[in-house]
Amino acid sequence: MGGLEHATPGVLAVLAFAGWMLFRHLAHAANGHQQFIRRIPGVDAIESAVGRCAELGRPVVFTTALTDVGPVLFACLGVLHSIAKRTAQYKLKLIVPQYSPEAMAIVEDTVREAYRSVGRGAAFDPKSIVFLSSEQFAFASGYMGLVHREHAGAAFMFGVFAGEALVLAEAGQQVGARQVAASVSPEQVAFFICTCDYTLIGEELFGASAYMSREPVQVAALAAQDRVKLLVGAFVVLGVLCATAAQFNPVWNSLMPHQLVLADWSMWKTWFESLFSRVWR
Amino acid sequence: MDPRTKLIRIVTLLGGVYFLVYFLLPKSVLLQLGIQQNHESISNGFIVVGAMAIGLGLINLLVGHGAKIVFKRAGWSNSAALLIALAVMFFVTCAQWVGSLQSSYDIREVQLIGEFASRIVSDDQDASRRDTVPSVSQRIGALVGYGQSKAAFMRQMVESQDASLDSQESRRALLDELRIALNEFQVGLDGLESSRVASLGEGNRAVMEDLVARATRLGGAYSALRQSDQTLTLFSRLYGVLYDGLFVQLGAAMFSLLGVYIAAAAYRAFRVKTVESALMMSAAVIVMLGQISAVFLMLHLGSFGEEAYRFLPKVRQWLLEVPNSAAFRAIRLGAGVAGLMLAIRMWLSIESKSFSSDKRG
Repeated sequence: MGGLEHATPGVLAVLAFAGWMLFRHLAHAANGHQQFIRRIPGVDAIESAVGRCAELGRPVVFTTALTDVGPVLFACLGVLHSIAKRTAQYKLKLIVPQYSPEAMAIVEDTVREAYRSVGRGAAFDPKSIVFLSSEQFAFASGYMGLVHREHAGAAFMFGVFAGEALVLAEAGQQVGARQVAASVSPEQVAFFICTCDYTLIGEELFGASAYMSREPVQVAALAAQDRVKLLVGAFVVLGVLCATAAQFNPVWNSLMPHQLVLADWSMWKTWFESLFSRVWR
Repeated sequence: MDPRTKLIRIVTLLGGVYFLVYFLLPKSVLLQLGIQQNHESISNGFIVVGAMAIGLGLINLLVGHGAKIVFKRAGWSNSAALLIALAVMFFVTCAQWVGSLQSSYDIREVQLIGEFASRIVSDDQDASRRDTVPSVSQRIGALVGYGQSKAAFMRQMVESQDASLDSQESRRALLDELRIALNEFQVGLDGLESSRVASLGEGNRAVMEDLVARATRLGGAYSALRQSDQTLTLFSRLYGVLYDGLFVQLGAAMFSLLGVYIAAAAYRAFRVKTVESALMMSAAVIVMLGQISAVFLMLHLGSFGEEAYRFLPKVRQWLLEVPNSAAFRAIRLGAGVAGLMLAIRMWLSIESKSFSSDKRG
């Protein structure tokens, strides 16, 4: 099946449902309704890792690696904001090595804002946001050198990673840093599980920021995304049932959820026409 | 809300609206509205804005490492090496680019001969354009004049290169090809000049089409020689040494570290301490053995290896295609939905305090 060039009625319906869920939960949050977030040990480990750095007097390193400007970066920035607030409060050195110049400007703004929010704006050092390289392995070697030289006490790797993931994580292992990783790249999750103390998998990265800050907007978005996931889960179950039924009667193939979502306007028109003609008869 | 934040929110919203509309509307409607025709230019605009950020990275490097050198902080020599490497690479790349620019310009000038000749033929065939351009005789006169001047320039270049040519066979072949193409082109040009074409009838059109073919061959031969010359310049060689010889190799060296690190990470992960790690260890052993060839298994494990080869590749395949794929899809799905929600939030500027600069005012 080819890629989707333009929105179909099914895609529009899913987008509308996602938007409606988001606004519904935001309205609930505005009315003071509290949402429950389950405990994530990896997120708790972030706070304890920063605390450990304060005890040892070693710096904290946070990288978004190959993450470019987009939703994943903004999810990482939520966590960075919380970590930066703690490092500012504990008077710790925070180093944020950068791969993408575009992301760097936003990262700098986020860290500065975090320092200001705890009344330590003057302590923010712009040089702590270090641009290393836009080349994957040049960045990896720069990161390794930085972690070794600074003798990092904690290393947080959040975002999109590729082949350099293991190189980054091993650098932290070698200096005995407490490491927490979170990646939306499933291929790299296995490497992080092997080398880091805690690993947040996939969407946990998006939940971490809400869990740490407990801000109503973030928590409401988290609750909304769970409802959308329920819808997607229902589609999966429906697909399995249809695929099973199609083994006995091929008619069920046309009711597969992906067919419904990807069907264009003309296909919907044909379906409705055939349905009405049958009913009319 | 301060004006800066307001402006950012408006631009974000408008950018989001544009891409949403582009995604929602069918191609036929986009064509009618004129959006499809301008989409590439608009997308390039976004790329240009992104490219501006490279300057930020450069400034960060200069400020961070420059301060280290000036105040002679720890590791200042590394910073000096980095900035010197940056300056050298910048200079060499610029010099190589300027050199290739001149070469591209010269090549284009020669390629224009064939394109001009071809245009004369096509304009003459199109009644609507015939009257808007100068007469055929005028245009052919200009073509002959331009072609003669370029041919003279190339002949001079061939003679000077021929006299100073080293023993490189490949370069001699390129020069011979250019000489032949030049002679053929000259014959075609002389034929056109002597026939004094005033209009393009059937016969004259054939002469012009023949000249187009000869000019195209000349353009190709000249381009090949100039590109070959370009690779031999000092700055091209320096660029090759610095980029392909040094930078790419250093990247490869970093990549090769992965082999060692994978072994170290596997050792840590596969120490069987819990039920989960035992499960992971068993799956890894099956996948690894399933990857090994039958001959190797039989040679080293005898009849057990033969038996193992019957079922291990199938189990490996099942592990990769069923539980592994299911986990991958679940991760991608979860991250995709979460990304969608965050994208809606960012688009409509429903921001949490983390990204908000409201407090600034």
